Amino acid sequence: MSTEWGTMLWVFRRELGARFDSLSALTVTIVFALVAHGLYYFLGHPVGDLQLPSLWAGQVASLQVVFAWLPLLFVGLIPALTMGAWAEERASGTQELLFTWPVSGRASVLGKFFAVWFFLGLVLAVAILPLAVMVAGLGDLDWGAVFGGLAGAFLLAGACISISLFLSSLFTEQLSAFLSSALLLGLLWSAGLLIHVMPPSLADAVFYASPYSHFFDSAARGVFDLRDLIYHVSLMVAGLWCNTLVVEGRRWA
Amino acid sequence: MNMIHVQGLEKSYGNLEALKGVSFDVERGEIVGFLGPNGAGKSTTMKILTGYLVPDSGSCRVAGIEVTPGDPSSRRSVGYLPESTPLYRGMRVDRYLDFVAGIHGQDRAERRASVGRVIEACRLGRHAGRRIGWLSKGFRQRVGLAQALLGNPDVLILDEPTSGLDPREVVRMRDLILELGKEKTVLLSTHILSEVEATCSRVIVIAGGQLVADATPFEIARSRAAELTVVLRVPSDQIQGFDAAAIGRDFAHVPGVARLVSAEDCGGGTARLVLDVNRAPGSVATSGEPVAEMVADALAKRGWKLSELTWQGDDFEAAFLEITDPERIALVGPLVREQPFLAEELEELTEPILSTRTPRSGDAPTGGNK
Repeated sequence: MSTEWGTMLWVFRRELGARFDSLSALTVTIVFALVAHGLYYFLGHPVGDLQLPSLWAGQVASLQVVFAWLPLLFVGLIPALTMGAWAEERASGTQELLFTWPVSGRASVLGKFFAVWFFLGLVLAVAILPLAVMVAGLGDLDWGAVFGGLAGAFLLAGACISISLFLSSLFTEQLSAFLSSALLLGLLWSAGLLIHVMPPSLADAVFYASPYSHFFDSAARGVFDLRDLIYHVSLMVAGLWCNTLVVEGRRWA
Repeated sequence: MNMIHVQGLEKSYGNLEALKGVSFDVERGEIVGFLGPNGAGKSTTMKILTGYLVPDSGSCRVAGIEVTPGDPSSRRSVGYLPESTPLYRGMRVDRYLDFVAGIHGQDRAERRASVGRVIEACRLGRHAGRRIGWLSKGFRQRVGLAQALLGNPDVLILDEPTSGLDPREVVRMRDLILELGKEKTVLLSTHILSEVEATCSRVIVIAGGQLVADATPFEIARSRAAELTVVLRVPSDQIQGFDAAAIGRDFAHVPGVARLVSAEDCGGGTARLVLDVNRAPGSVATSGEPVAEMVADALAKRGWKLSELTWQGDDFEAAFLEITDPERIALVGPLVREQPFLAEELEELTEPILSTRTPRSGDAPTGGNK
């Protein structure tokens, strides 16, 4: 319906505007960029199965190190971006107006989701493209792998954001929303590390269920896999659907 | 046409029964005061009317549209100002209002027109470029009202629009509501009883989740009127053998009078009688003023002149306390008039209160009436 699309765009605009209005968004972006750059130059990726040296140590013109770190960085970044989305509306009572305006629950859920997703896309671009430009100046950079990695990271972020937003809708306090979704995303990330100590059947299931395994072995290496797209999109849809159920269900509270 | 129709609303929060079957109607163009002690269920009723909450049972219609969860169409006809005025404090006033207009599906030209209109109506002009969080409580309240007006709704639901405002702002808000009431149907909740008398043509009172009164402010105030003072003068040929006490005893038998409190001989054939009419049958003035009329008739029949007829305890606040008293509710039931209100009648009934009411101690210092 066109009006639903219209109201969704207005929610999107407001959410995005609110992010640019506040200093916290700028802070988050700067911290994220600094950490990503620091890890890339100095530490490499000495964690888990995907062992990679830092730029200075390895002397390889590739952004694989950054992409390998992104899932763990998302564990901190995404809950920080999503925690307020619903919890703040509840805490300040503004949702009482939001849900008495002629807006459907679905439109407001989607508006908020796309606003965070769009913002995160900007953060990714701002943090990673300068690295790519610099590395391309030093050596022969595979731009296809860079954009493939960015696209994969963006998809992964979408899945994480929809889960985080759903968790934010369950809480009134932003801190609780942040901690619970950081905990959940952290557990999913660490599942990849624990696979070796699990029984094989369980390890397989955990491996396929974790959003990160749909990133490490493909997009992070510059490979684009259609199955990953389907996986992430279904996760997003599931998260947004639960989110809509929760916020619309509050009317029966 | 009924602009608000509420039928048998019930709502519980866990074990707490917030509403136990509330029904009422509000006609087009009425300003109705929605009163009740804290926790009576006022806000819950308003949240149900605006579609924010779904009742356990019962139904409501706003502007003829059934309030249905998941269907925003009834919400288009309602402007709502919640109790705590929750606004996005980080936004500028004009951008916030533009956003709300956009949410209501208005295009660019419509938005410009409607935002301009509500900024004008709520006198927000000088503050349009400021952040909402920086405004004083009074101006935030005006922004809250402005957003409620943006969709040009037929029905306004205002939950304590004057709470926390200084007396000057209270008067401004009251004037604004009176102005809006000329075109819109307004349901407003408040704890400031003088405000109800000044703005509302009708009052709905709930207590403990039940309707306890549905009448005009005048009738509610009069419902408690405990004593009727009658000063009468007998014709000169009857001054001989004048006995105030005997006259008083005579009046104790007038229908509606419970007993004679005092009878005083003021000299010159004038007697001052104080009659207790409280709780006497027919004394609750739900159908005019039967007691006063009966007394006047009794005087006329005897050929006596009426010099003064005064109600004592004609006090809205005291009446409110009494009708929301659980014991009284159990004893006499709700104060609801039997016949429907007529528009002319409402005008007539509220007029004296609006124009001639003398300021009382409970009023705001600047609280003149328009």
